[in-house]
Amino acid sequence: MNDKIIKEKGASAVSPPLAAILSFIIPGLGQTFSGFIRRGILILLSAGSMTGIMIWRIVDLGYRAGVGWPVFVRAFERRPVFVFIMIFCIAAVWLLSVRDAWICAKERRKPFFGVFLVVLLGFFIQGWQIAEIDPVRFVIEAPEALGPLSRVIWPWKAAITFDERNVAANAQVLDGEGEAPVRAPKIEGRPYLHVEPNVGALTTQDENYKPVPGTKVTLTGTDFEPNTITEIWWIDPVNNKFRPRENKEYLQVTTDSGGAFTMEMTLPYVMVSGDKGTNFIHTIEARQTFKIGGPKASDALKQTLALMVETIFMGMMATMFGIILSIPVSFLAARNIMSGSKVTLAIYYLTRFILNVIRSIEPLIWALIAVVWVGLGPFAGIIALTLHSVAALGKLYSEAIESIDQGPIEAVEATGATRLQVILFGVIPQMISPFISFSIYRWDINVRMSTVIGMVGGGGIGFILMQYIRLLDYRSAGIAVWFIAITVAILDYVSAEIRNRLM
Amino acid sequence: MVFQHFNLVKRLSVTNNVLSGRLGYTKNGSSLFYRFSEEDKEKAAAALKRVGLSEQAHKRASELSGGQQQRVGIARALMQEPKIILADEPVASLDPVLAHTILGDLERLNKEDGITVICSLHYLDLVQRYATRVIGLRDGRVVYRGTGEDIRRMTDEEFKEIYGEEAKRVSAGPTITGKPA
Repeated sequence: MNDKIIKEKGASAVSPPLAAILSFIIPGLGQTFSGFIRRGILILLSAGSMTGIMIWRIVDLGYRAGVGWPVFVRAFERRPVFVFIMIFCIAAVWLLSVRDAWICAKERRKPFFGVFLVVLLGFFIQGWQIAEIDPVRFVIEAPEALGPLSRVIWPWKAAITFDERNVAANAQVLDGEGEAPVRAPKIEGRPYLHVEPNVGALTTQDENYKPVPGTKVTLTGTDFEPNTITEIWWIDPVNNKFRPRENKEYLQVTTDSGGAFTMEMTLPYVMVSGDKGTNFIHTIEARQTFKIGGPKASDALKQTLALMVETIFMGMMATMFGIILSIPVSFLAARNIMSGSKVTLAIYYLTRFILNVIRSIEPLIWALIAVVWVGLGPFAGIIALTLHSVAALGKLYSEAIESIDQGPIEAVEATGATRLQVILFGVIPQMISPFISFSIYRWDINVRMSTVIGMVGGGGIGFILMQYIRLLDYRSAGIAVWFIAITVAILDYVSAEIRNRLM
Repeated sequence: MVFQHFNLVKRLSVTNNVLSGRLGYTKNGSSLFYRFSEEDKEKAAAALKRVGLSEQAHKRASELSGGQQQRVGIARALMQEPKIILADEPVASLDPVLAHTILGDLERLNKEDGITVICSLHYLDLVQRYATRVIGLRDGRVVYRGTGEDIRRMTDEEFKEIYGEEAKRVSAGPTITGKPA
């Protein structure tokens, strides 16, 4: 019986039981032999890839458990639900494919696509596991994110600063054993800080990383400004300054009406305390801060503003270079202009190909290459954005050239106009609207792109945004994010408005 | 030349569209800045007045209705001071009322200025009303020769001979060329 007759008569090459057995041996084989070749291949591919990914995940989950069965046991111990559902899915696909083959061979029609639903379920579960999706964690750890998030959302505290005057006094503490540091002499009328005792042990960690509290000391301050909050600062031997915390609160105290205070503190955990048996002298500082004069723009605000301007201009320069370079390119990539001879057609295909390749590589990757070439800074970003703009605009412009209406050109030619006049009166007026529209759209894209291109060293606001985030300075990062959002929103509106009017 | 689809440069103003009819007489240098001589401008204003579009002179061509656009096309053709105007189905994309307006305009040019108008049309009622001489073409060959008056008296048999067996007397068929003397 040849293939043609099967199709015409609708009979199967194999009997239903044989098709079922074939599909039992290899899923999809029965369908293939019953004449549903594409369905068979699809079932084979999906069952195969599902099983393959499953094996990979089980080996991944059960690593270090040896070879064979122990790997599976280990994987099942770690992720019982996942392994169970996957085995269920694979078994279901297998059995459903047998049933599927039976129906294909017997009733000469495609059965219900239940088998593919199970395949989809299997891939969904695998995706869930591979992508480490964890809704529980998402909810439980939300409070952790609230602090940084609230600072990013309302960062304006960091936008202003005041000049400050400090009233401060130091006292030294020896970590370990030995001779106590010499106390500074008390000078009448000057603020003074006394630590008792001034020899002790810092907070350390035991082998389970549990804190072992250090010595409790009493701080006594005199001759500070009265009724003022006084911050406690810690200065370690290499002059790092930080504010120690107890019970998650920064240590501080308010002076009484005579400018004096007394408080207790536990010597904190300090990373630099070094090897055991090394005795270092640390310094405790009590500090009162007073604002002088009015509010001033903070460094973060000034830096962000300057870089925002740089970013906008980066986008603008890249767009301009992009426009200039893409105009000639777009003619080379316009089919109606290049279809004259085989040579020009070859140039057309080559240009199109190059444009497609450049466009398919993200500006961020171009920026990485440009940074190697011209070094860090906005110029690298401009090169990256220009390259991408040329490719994108070249394509858009060339499509505008291709869709030009021949009618007006014919009419202008009919008046006896010269070639130049035909271009001026027939071609350019038709091009100008899409041309400006695409260019402004590109400017919009380029400014948006240049906000992130700094993250790979391409200059602009992305660079400092990245730096703020790495320094955990979420307020300053928030200022940068706000500026980016405002700029992009304005630009979006303006470019849409201009394009609307042009249309 | 007057076109079926008007072929105006839609983004240019009506005046500039009309002035583009003068390009054959303008130097490259001045058209680079879209500049025309005062004389040409006056001529354009006069041409627009003749087709009744003085009000619309500064609008963009795309803002006009179909009939108005075709009249701009006629004004553009006038700018070349033609002896003959070739109108390629000038009313094919217009409704019957506008068709009569446009053909009326062309008729006036013919009667007042003595410009010969060669006009291709589909509909015999328009041909009856406006044509002085009619040539019927089919597959590039002349199949009919007569006057507007002849068309009025045309029998159904003659009609079928020209248009083919399946044609009814209202439908479109081969090109009928009306040529007022």
